[in-house]
Amino acid sequence: MSGAPAIETVGLSKTYDGKVRALVGLDLHVEPGEVFGYLGPNGAGKSTTIRLLLGLIHPTAGRAAVFGLDTRTEGVPARRHLGYLPGDLRLSDRLTGREQLESLARLRGRLDASLRDELCERLGVVLDRPIRQLSRGNRQKIGLVQAFMHRPELVVLDEPTAGLDPLLQNEVRDLLRETAADGRAVFLSSHSLDEVQHVADRVGIIRAGRLVDVDAVESLRERALRHVTITFAEAPDPSRFAGLDGVRVVATDGPVLRLSAPEPAMDAVVKAAAQQRIVDLVSQPADLEEIFLELYREGHDGG
Amino acid sequence: MAAELLRRGLRDHRRALVGWCFGIAAYVALVAAIFPSIESSPEFDKLVESYPDVLKSLFGIAEGGDITSGAGYLDVELFSLMLPLLVLVLAIGSGARTLAGEEDAGRLELVLSYPLRRRDTVLAKGAAVAAEIVTVCVVVGIAIALLDPLVGLDLSMGRLAEALGALAALGLLYGWLALAVGGAWPSRAFAIGIPAALAAGAYLVSGLHELAGWLDPFRFLSPFWLVGSSPLQSGADGWGVLVVVVVSFAVLVAGSVLLERRDLETP
Repeated sequence: MSGAPAIETVGLSKTYDGKVRALVGLDLHVEPGEVFGYLGPNGAGKSTTIRLLLGLIHPTAGRAAVFGLDTRTEGVPARRHLGYLPGDLRLSDRLTGREQLESLARLRGRLDASLRDELCERLGVVLDRPIRQLSRGNRQKIGLVQAFMHRPELVVLDEPTAGLDPLLQNEVRDLLRETAADGRAVFLSSHSLDEVQHVADRVGIIRAGRLVDVDAVESLRERALRHVTITFAEAPDPSRFAGLDGVRVVATDGPVLRLSAPEPAMDAVVKAAAQQRIVDLVSQPADLEEIFLELYREGHDGG
Repeated sequence: MAAELLRRGLRDHRRALVGWCFGIAAYVALVAAIFPSIESSPEFDKLVESYPDVLKSLFGIAEGGDITSGAGYLDVELFSLMLPLLVLVLAIGSGARTLAGEEDAGRLELVLSYPLRRRDTVLAKGAAVAAEIVTVCVVVGIAIALLDPLVGLDLSMGRLAEALGALAALGLLYGWLALAVGGAWPSRAFAIGIPAALAAGAYLVSGLHELAGWLDPFRFLSPFWLVGSSPLQSGADGWGVLVVVVVSFAVLVAGSVLLERRDLETP
């Protein structure tokens, strides 16, 4: 496995029931030591990709390999290198967290008890109550522990911070960064740019079963628009902003001005606004769908 | 490894299994407790003799069989209908729950994301189902053996073992069929419905083939006919039991291959 990429897919496609094209010709390359963010709206084909990587479903065309091991023909050795957190985690309701983790360790056939205990302590896992009594977040923590507790070379996570409070979301991000720093790979699927952008090195964007773009997270953020709402003390002069690069004035309503601006233009926007007395300023990241639309405009020349 | 699935299967059904064992043992005890009053009333034999042939046929009341003997009584009251019915309900329920039920509930995905071959998963779950069936049959055997001297059933222990072996073989076939149907389709309803319908059909064929002539050629297809009716009086059919067990294994292997080939259902 030395030298082989953590994930490599070539023309990977999946069509359900001969008609629903869930994934079309995916070419993906993820190296050890990186966190790869896999971003797309719900139903874009993220989970289909992950399920193909895990050998849970079989490709209609193309192939996928994990550390050079074909996920279809060499699924068992491939999955030895994998830790997986499903997007919709279902555990055995009657077992306690401890029993569930012990059972899963036996299922894998090996257990690093000290690593498991360390992870449980770090995430604050509730171990001694039956799963059915746990909140969504507490179940998710058990799912995270089982994905990491055998120190896998590749961790595949489907929306890992869903249901976790912000403090724990940070803890999980730290865990992902440490995993990559350790020379292991993380494949992080999400529909939220926010979940991905602070931790991923590169981001692949998928939409309607096709990979639209793979980019460093930095450049994605640069292209990502901000929605800015500025409330002035008195009616502003919109033309002051119209000349700025990439900035578009969306609406003016008395003293309130709404505009959209890419991140690099924010400095100029704030400085232009500061020439008048400001009452309030709110800046929000555009949501993913808008970034997709942006990408589509670029990719299809206005289509 | 996959052995963990056997352990987990047994653990998950532990409470249900204990309940089944107590329930069946209690039913067996109740039936046995009535035996002394049947034995002492010869008119009961005449009453049974006057039953319509269809009823006699269905309840395994053999020509020349003696319902006032311990073996004849238990054949009719337990081994012709109630015990196969109870064991099959347990076996089909367990076989359907352990694979199709787990997939329906979305719990199979995490298990199969571990480094296990799917066929090993099916075999381990099959072993758990078999262990449950054997446990219940052993409990029935112990209950009958303990009651035998108390109510004077006067059974042959060899015949009792044969009867239980035939019972377990039937349970194995339909339990593993439920598992295999789960291997083919991710539906618990199918996994219960298909084996249950086939078992009901096979039971009718076995019970009625002598009366309805056109059914007679199909009797070879009925596992109930193959293992033999009235096992306590005339013993089980060894070859029939063997055929049923061999077919059971074939069904289980087919189920594991089918699961290997298909896509796992998205929860």
